[in-house]
Amino acid sequence: MSPDAPQKDPSSGAAPRAAGSHLLVRAGDYVCALPLTSVRRVVRALPIHPLPGSTAELKGLSEFGGEPLPVLDLARLIAAPPGANPAFPVTIVAWAGPAEAREMVGLSADAALEVVDVPLSSVVGGDGAFVLGEASVGGEIVRVLDLEALGRAL
Amino acid sequence: MIGKMLGAGARADAWSTRSDRERWPEQQQVEIRPGSALAGWLIVIGLGLAGGALLGIAVYRGAPLWIAVVFLLGAGVGAAAYGTEVYRFYRRLETRDPGERRLPALAGDLSSLQAAFEHLGAGDLVRAVENTRALPERVAAIFTAAGRALASLAEQIQDSSIEVASSADEVNQIASDLASGSSEQAASVVEITAAMEELARTASQIAANATRQAALAERAEASGDAGSAAVDEAVTGVEEVQKRISGIASRADNLGTRSKEIYRVLDLITEIADETHILSLNAAIEGAAAGADGRRFAVVAEEVRRLAHRSQESVDSVRNLLDEFASSIRATIVATEEGSKEASRVLERSRSAATAIGALRAAAGDTARVARQISLATQQQNAASDEVVMTLREVSQVVQRMTGGLKQLSGTADRLNRLGLTIQLLAQSFHLGSPRSLKHLVEDWASQLEQTKSSGDMQRVLDGLIDKTPFIEMAYFVDTSGYTVALSFHQEESAGRKLLGAEGAREIDMTRRPWYRAVARERRTTLTSPYQSIQSGEPCFTVAAPVRRGSQREFAGVLGIDVNINGWMRI
Repeated sequence: MSPDAPQKDPSSGAAPRAAGSHLLVRAGDYVCALPLTSVRRVVRALPIHPLPGSTAELKGLSEFGGEPLPVLDLARLIAAPPGANPAFPVTIVAWAGPAEAREMVGLSADAALEVVDVPLSSVVGGDGAFVLGEASVGGEIVRVLDLEALGRAL
Repeated sequence: MIGKMLGAGARADAWSTRSDRERWPEQQQVEIRPGSALAGWLIVIGLGLAGGALLGIAVYRGAPLWIAVVFLLGAGVGAAAYGTEVYRFYRRLETRDPGERRLPALAGDLSSLQAAFEHLGAGDLVRAVENTRALPERVAAIFTAAGRALASLAEQIQDSSIEVASSADEVNQIASDLASGSSEQAASVVEITAAMEELARTASQIAANATRQAALAERAEASGDAGSAAVDEAVTGVEEVQKRISGIASRADNLGTRSKEIYRVLDLITEIADETHILSLNAAIEGAAAGADGRRFAVVAEEVRRLAHRSQESVDSVRNLLDEFASSIRATIVATEEGSKEASRVLERSRSAATAIGALRAAAGDTARVARQISLATQQQNAASDEVVMTLREVSQVVQRMTGGLKQLSGTADRLNRLGLTIQLLAQSFHLGSPRSLKHLVEDWASQLEQTKSSGDMQRVLDGLIDKTPFIEMAYFVDTSGYTVALSFHQEESAGRKLLGAEGAREIDMTRRPWYRAVARERRTTLTSPYQSIQSGEPCFTVAAPVRRGSQREFAGVLGIDVNINGWMRI
């Protein structure tokens, strides 16, 4: 097995979470902040094989580290309006779901921007589920996502 | 004319011979036979000698002898017959009374003969012959033959004189026409001479203009050479410019190709920067996963990410610059393409201009050559015109001389006409039995006047005379007191003139007129000299005849007719 292959998290919720370290990505017209502890890898957009009869949020299956990887459309997940054509689309390989049963998924985004610290105290609003809330980073509104809640939402 | 004369003479001879044969056959033999007998004998002797000589020659040449015997017998018989006839003639001559025929001539009426000669001397051949009727037949015949021969001669003189006068008049008319034509011809020659001189001057001007045109054409040809060389240089320059434009276009294409390579390099750098960016993010993820130990690694990853970001920004800047550069190159390529097309058009026009200049130069050369030929031809024409002018001047002199000659000819013809008229008048002095004899004519009408009873009858006779003889202008009868009893004239010939009517004529004592005095003195028909008629203004003469009346045929007056000469000559 490849070290980058998705696998069950052995520490299931015991892994330390860097408070506030998030990976900023662009999905549609929105900028989202993914908790860095849940992000496994950032790769160039993987080739996707669509699954017939699947939901609109599931774009299809890709292959990562020799294993099938379901890829979700991040923009649809957060209901972001479509933005400009992405110059360098990426696939974010991340852990989704609660710590005890998280799974590796792929999130297709238009670009991976940078790693920033987002204090959780600055997060306001949100639906209390997948979108934890919104925070201002560098003067720009960023939607802070909770990947653990993503597993529950799916 | 000669034929008529000969014919008339022949008729007279024939009449005389026939009369002699009918009236005096013996005397005719006496006058003719002796000469004929002598000639006959001479002919017989000559023929005998010639025949004997020929016969001797024939016998000598071998002809049969019996031919000679026969010939000699024939000649002897002929000579005997002729001699017998001569002997019989002379025997009759010796037995005749020689005075038997001479007595009538000696006993003729001398008074009749005298009257006949008087009439003959006065030119009245008709009355002269009439007065010979009482003479012996032979004398009357001789006189009549002489009178008729003289009458025939006078008629022929009249005819000839009329023909001479008519011919002279025609010659005069033709000479006048020719003189007029010659004058017009001389004037035409003068006009042609002037035209030829003008033509010569024009030819000189044309020659000068052609020479100047040749010089201009030669200069145009030289200018065409210079223009052709300049256009050739321009064509060469444009071709060089076109080559350089092609070189610039090629280099611009090369730069475009290089720009694409740069774009590919920039794409590669961009891709590397993106990969580096992703790599830095993954490094930061790994650093974060490493906890506190991974912080430094995360810092380095962040620096790497920033470096990648700066690389991306640099690439974007370079791409922008390269876009501007590529745009400039494309504009350069478009400009060079347009410049190349324009250079091609300029080159094509320059070549067309070179062709046109070449054609112009050739045309200028042809023009110069033709102008020189025109100049030479016009110079020759000028020389020819001078020769024509000289010839025309000579022709003018000849025509002038000819005009003078024709005028002289006209004068000569006019004199000849007058001479013919004079001869005619002289011939008309004879009273002939011919209707052409004016004396005969006027005496006929005078005899008609003698038959009239009143002046009205005389007027009608004169009117008839005027109607029947168109060449008579006026006819009048004057009695012995000089009174004009009757007068008639042609109205149309007197149109527009002051007429001498009967009333005017009666105011004049006509006995003083020469024609009246001549007739009254001679009691014969007379002619006056020509004069100008007061009626027609044309030349005329008067023929006057005595008019007799009563049983004694006493002189009662004079019938005068004025003959229009021109009308009479036409008749």
